[in-house]
Amino acid sequence: MLELNLLWTALVAYVVSGSTAIISVVLDRRPQRMILVLLVVGLALHSASIAVRWDRLGHGPYVTMFEILSSNVWSLLLAFALAYWRIRAIRASAAVVMPIMFVMMGWLLVSSPGEGHLPPTYHTIWLFIHIGFGKVFLGAVLVAVGIAGVILLRHCGVGVKRLAGLPADERLDDLACRFMSLGLVFETLMLVAGAIWAQDAWGRYWAWDPLETWAFITWLTLAFSLHARLAFRLRPHHGAALIILVFVLAFLTFFGVPFVSTAPHKGAV
Amino acid sequence: MIASPSVGRLARLAGASGGANRWLERLASLKLTAYLIAVLGAGVLMAYLSETRTTWSLVVPLALIALNLGAAVATNGVFRRNLPLLVFHLALIAVIALVALGRLTYLKGQIELAEGEEFAGDLVSHDAGPLHWWRLDRIHLVNHGFSIDYAAGVKRGPTRNEVGYAVDDGRPQRTVIGDNEPLVLLGYRFYTSFNKGFAPAFLWHAKQGEALFGTVHLPAYPIHEYRQARDWTLPGTSTTVWTQLQFDEVILDPDKPSSFRLPRHYKLVVRVGEMRAELQPGESIELPDGRLEYRGLGSWMGYTVFSDWTTPWLLAAAALAAVSLALHFWNKFSSRPWNPEHAADA
Repeated sequence: MLELNLLWTALVAYVVSGSTAIISVVLDRRPQRMILVLLVVGLALHSASIAVRWDRLGHGPYVTMFEILSSNVWSLLLAFALAYWRIRAIRASAAVVMPIMFVMMGWLLVSSPGEGHLPPTYHTIWLFIHIGFGKVFLGAVLVAVGIAGVILLRHCGVGVKRLAGLPADERLDDLACRFMSLGLVFETLMLVAGAIWAQDAWGRYWAWDPLETWAFITWLTLAFSLHARLAFRLRPHHGAALIILVFVLAFLTFFGVPFVSTAPHKGAV
Repeated sequence: MIASPSVGRLARLAGASGGANRWLERLASLKLTAYLIAVLGAGVLMAYLSETRTTWSLVVPLALIALNLGAAVATNGVFRRNLPLLVFHLALIAVIALVALGRLTYLKGQIELAEGEEFAGDLVSHDAGPLHWWRLDRIHLVNHGFSIDYAAGVKRGPTRNEVGYAVDDGRPQRTVIGDNEPLVLLGYRFYTSFNKGFAPAFLWHAKQGEALFGTVHLPAYPIHEYRQARDWTLPGTSTTVWTQLQFDEVILDPDKPSSFRLPRHYKLVVRVGEMRAELQPGESIELPDGRLEYRGLGSWMGYTVFSDWTTPWLLAAAALAAVSLALHFWNKFSSRPWNPEHAADA
């Protein structure tokens, strides 16, 4: 099938790009243009795969776990590719980000690409708005995770020499904080858009279902991590550890909770 | 030197005022905000994990956060210099206050209406704030029937439910509601739910009094496909009637698309004590207190009723909070590059 061939080819491009990025950090080489070109090629092929599937099924990639993983691999790599392109000083953070993406790609490979049923509550523009805000949020946090990973690796004495070319921890911490701030704005918007959707889909704007509860806990943790920087003047590695915590919570909320509980947030009975 | 009484009073007042200010400043502490966010997170987890869904674990931290934010706005000069930050904090306080007001005045309930039945103001179940202003008795709502298509695998498609409605003695109107499209009357939002099923209709001719018409709402279909029976009590008596709908035909085919419909061939079994009868429309059974006549089979639809006047204000406050937060971050970060040594990367 064309959509799967396009997807597998895109994944190969991502893996080659990511592996090159990791090897370039380890060997202290700089084939950065090739890494970016491969990322862009992968994104183009992946976009085509998603478009073909969308056209075939008549709905976007937001029903099955395969579709959710695929669209998130796409949006996260798009966010990281933009950061990689625009902020040259942090390109080595690809060595932290790409292994995370490899895990998601591996999960995508073992997911069933079969079709799912589009619940009737999904026929609303708020679905796209809610998901769009969520993708920007997670993308911003992923870029911050890459930066936080560099800070933590240097703090733990791992790859200090290889990562020495990056700006000082304080500067990286400031940049990570900016991405987390962007994440907070978009997670807030995601929750607001989700509440509007939930009001008309299920007759309530908030009901503490598992996904809502964990999304709110993620929001609180993100707000805490930003506030703690001001209140306690955290050192960079402490701030970085909080970023990792936020990402882990967000990751589990996005991809873990639907496994634990499928009924309340899908509306399909 | 001995201070005059008026100077002493002023000093005491100044001292008291200084003490209050110190407390206000402590309440406005940034560190306290961080601790309270953590406490709220713990409270959310506690409420989520407890079986009784305790609300105090949410209410107490939220109230303290509102106080903390209010004190910060009142005492911290940064808010007078930074309008977006001030708006963000005020919007957060407004969100907390509106949520509290909403919980005092909201209503969430369920109703069930058979086809052709008018809503009489009775809720099957409900949950309401202590200050909810009941106006459901002013609403006239009639279920005129629904259609639901199912995909293979008994996957529900969109619900289309035609309803008639009027407020007080207003002009009756009709509309179609369904998923994502509620009917809004007097601030009450009526949503179709996934609960729907079959409803045998009966006429009860009591030996004394007028004949009464009513429907029995059998358990929701297809969720309770194999449990299409229920007990009910004849009006004005203590007689319990067990009613069961039996049919063999496949209504919702798991192998291909289908639609919700009434069974074409069925048996309606009625049991009262030792008496058992299978009734066709128009047939009846004689009972000690009167005659029970079966009038035919219809359907019923379940609705969720929701009312919370704060929701548009809550949306406005939340949107304002997000926008002002974005503006605050923009002002804060655009004023200086993250890495002055490589400003081009900023």
